[in-house]
Amino acid sequence: MDTISSRFTSASAMALGNDNCNEFNPDGFLDAPSLSLPPISQPAAFLRAHTDDASNRDCTIKVNHGTTTLAFRFQGGIVVAVDSRATAGNWIASQTVKKVIEINPFLLGTMAGGAADCQYWETWLGTQCRLHELRSKERISVAAASKMLSNLVYSYKGMGLSMGTMVCGYTEREGPTIYYVDSDGTRLKGDMFCVGSGQTFAYGVLDASYKWDLSVDEALALGKRSILAATHRDAYSGGSINLYHVTQDGWVYHGNYDVGTTFWETKAKEESFNNVKVEL
Amino acid sequence: MPGLSFENYQRNQHLATSGFAVPKTTSTGTTIVGCKFDGGVVIAADTRATAGDIVADKNCEKLHCISSNIWCAGAGTAADTEMVTQIISSNIELHSLSTGRQPRVVTCLTMLKQHLFKYQGHIGAYLIVAGVDPTGPQLMSIHAHGSTDIGYYLSLGSGSMAAMAVLESKWKREMNKEEAMALCTEAIESGIWNDLGSGSNVDMCVMEVGKDSVLHRNYRTPNVRAQKERSYKFARGTTGILGQTVRNLVDVVEVPIANEEMEVDS
Amino acid sequence: MSLQEALPDSALHSTASSVPIEHRFNPYSDNGGTILGIAGKDFAVLAGDTRNTTGYSINSRYEPKVFHVGDNVVVSANGFAADGNVLVKRLGQQIQWYHYNHNKELKLSSCARLVQHMLYGKRFFPYYVHTILAGLDEDGKGAIYSFDPVGSYEREQCRAGGAAASLIMPFLDNQVNFKNQMDPATNGTEPHPITYLSLEEVLQLVKDAFSSATERHIQVGDGLEILIVTKDGVRTEYSPLKRD
Repeated sequence: MDTISSRFTSASAMALGNDNCNEFNPDGFLDAPSLSLPPISQPAAFLRAHTDDASNRDCTIKVNHGTTTLAFRFQGGIVVAVDSRATAGNWIASQTVKKVIEINPFLLGTMAGGAADCQYWETWLGTQCRLHELRSKERISVAAASKMLSNLVYSYKGMGLSMGTMVCGYTEREGPTIYYVDSDGTRLKGDMFCVGSGQTFAYGVLDASYKWDLSVDEALALGKRSILAATHRDAYSGGSINLYHVTQDGWVYHGNYDVGTTFWETKAKEESFNNVKVEL
Repeated sequence: MPGLSFENYQRNQHLATSGFAVPKTTSTGTTIVGCKFDGGVVIAADTRATAGDIVADKNCEKLHCISSNIWCAGAGTAADTEMVTQIISSNIELHSLSTGRQPRVVTCLTMLKQHLFKYQGHIGAYLIVAGVDPTGPQLMSIHAHGSTDIGYYLSLGSGSMAAMAVLESKWKREMNKEEAMALCTEAIESGIWNDLGSGSNVDMCVMEVGKDSVLHRNYRTPNVRAQKERSYKFARGTTGILGQTVRNLVDVVEVPIANEEMEVDS
Repeated sequence: MSLQEALPDSALHSTASSVPIEHRFNPYSDNGGTILGIAGKDFAVLAGDTRNTTGYSINSRYEPKVFHVGDNVVVSANGFAADGNVLVKRLGQQIQWYHYNHNKELKLSSCARLVQHMLYGKRFFPYYVHTILAGLDEDGKGAIYSFDPVGSYEREQCRAGGAAASLIMPFLDNQVNFKNQMDPATNGTEPHPITYLSLEEVLQLVKDAFSSATERHIQVGDGLEILIVTKDGVRTEYSPLKRD
């Protein structure tokens, strides 16, 4: 892979990371920014040695990981719910991360895996979507937008990108649509996805109560409750819950809910979480 | 079986290879020095103990008593320096009792080096041993693998270079006690300021011929904790209360007093 | 495509643990130190200790690492000093070029996005730094932006970075954002109201955070340099820290 990638490497220094390094510009993505590479034969192995704590526990650079995100389609559109914790190893780097990236007023992207990879490429996707609008005088389809992202990450395959994202949107032609895109190059259309280290916990709650005929309020509550369950059992998820609703008029933000207070409220209201005792 | 137990060795190796981090031992980081003078010997140490980059103890004791006339400064793994000195201290006492003689520093040195060599450096103790015995003032050092040195002035530990820089430039023959103490203080302080593994205070022990050895705990304290700008007292009611349970530990039973007139002496 | 055929299968579908790690090329080192940024109502501060280390040695007792890069923006990139210096220098140059090209100030939010692109530009050969940006937003409110080594960023009220970040950040959560504190006036039933701290209070917190970090972290000490951003410009305060 490294040898292949070196074929696409040029010595010109024009990117922001402009130094005397090699650069990587993926094939067929001339409008994608070029990224500089270390001046060695195996850049991917180098990166892995320094940033991937699964292969090297003493790695120098810790990258933020860990998450629970979900999105599902229902009668009233799409509900997107995410947690807000960022972890680097055992360290909680932040409890206030925005894991829903507002690509444009009709498109949302979620963030799981490498925080920088998701943030950067999904904002990049935003610019590409805008260019598409300007060129073709119509909004981009969710299918096309998600495919742009999946093609982009596929061109970097093996280089160490880490993303698990859901591209959610509404167009006249497609209706409410969710695409799951990850850094392996997988791209799936579906009605319901949970992504991240807490995905199984979220699926558990979501599957138990999901119906197509959910009202908007019920759907939002279910999304919120599923993330709450995940934050309760997954140490790498937590902080607060961000809720979004995607309709034919674009997405609507439905607020930020601190997990701490939401938990006690939910426990009292539902008489659930009885494993947690309040009395001594 | 005498000696250390190795029964978990294989298990620990397996754990380490399958990704479980080996627990960090507290290292004394350390600057320790020793210096002879006319009629005695002095040893000194800093008081910082570290665990990785974190200061584990700001005022630990690195000067260990082996016998009333022999003291030892330890660098390396804190637990090892502590245990090895205690073992040798016990054996020296027994040896002294059975021979009916005052313990000697060379005896100590030999026992330590034989013990440490046996464990091939796995006991991470780096020591400066000093004392006065029937042969006069003695100053020696031992490394974890068992090698030893004898000298007029010695330094060991992560701050040994900083300390030795001072010793090499200022040491001279025929020093008196005060000069030797000042030199050791300066050498340790050099370690405290310039070596990140050393810090806080200077401990010192002076052993003189014909006198009891004197331990100067916190001989110098150039790193007193600064006064904080704010008070961090929390007002009553800052802690949230999730629930409350009140338990009666004592049953209060009201016993009706028999309705009888008290007997009153008339 | 003969190149691809020559590659062993494991090079393409490599599992993380079975791959040998390339150790030969190690361009990184750690120069220690810690930085701390707090945003207030109409000000922001960014502080850093002035010690520079490698291993157990002190390279310098006064090597500033918080810089004013123009347009009321202060920045610090803590970690590997060589990478940090280059990043800050290039950011300063980019801001200069922005002036030449557009003849106007660079907004803080735009500056943050610029830093993201600079960091992500080296996604496959990262700058080994934790970056914090401080200044005033378009409404004149104090703002702190913090970045991971490859450019993921977020606006925050406060952030500690570098060697003693794990010592300082919990203190900040408690004292700046009042985490785990209830309002004493309600006898522990309502959460503590979120209020802005005054500049004086913030400076006290910063000094206490650093003096405490100096006590317990060997790479922190020598001096504390605080850059204070207000609408009137950038001001610097220096105070000594313990040198052991």
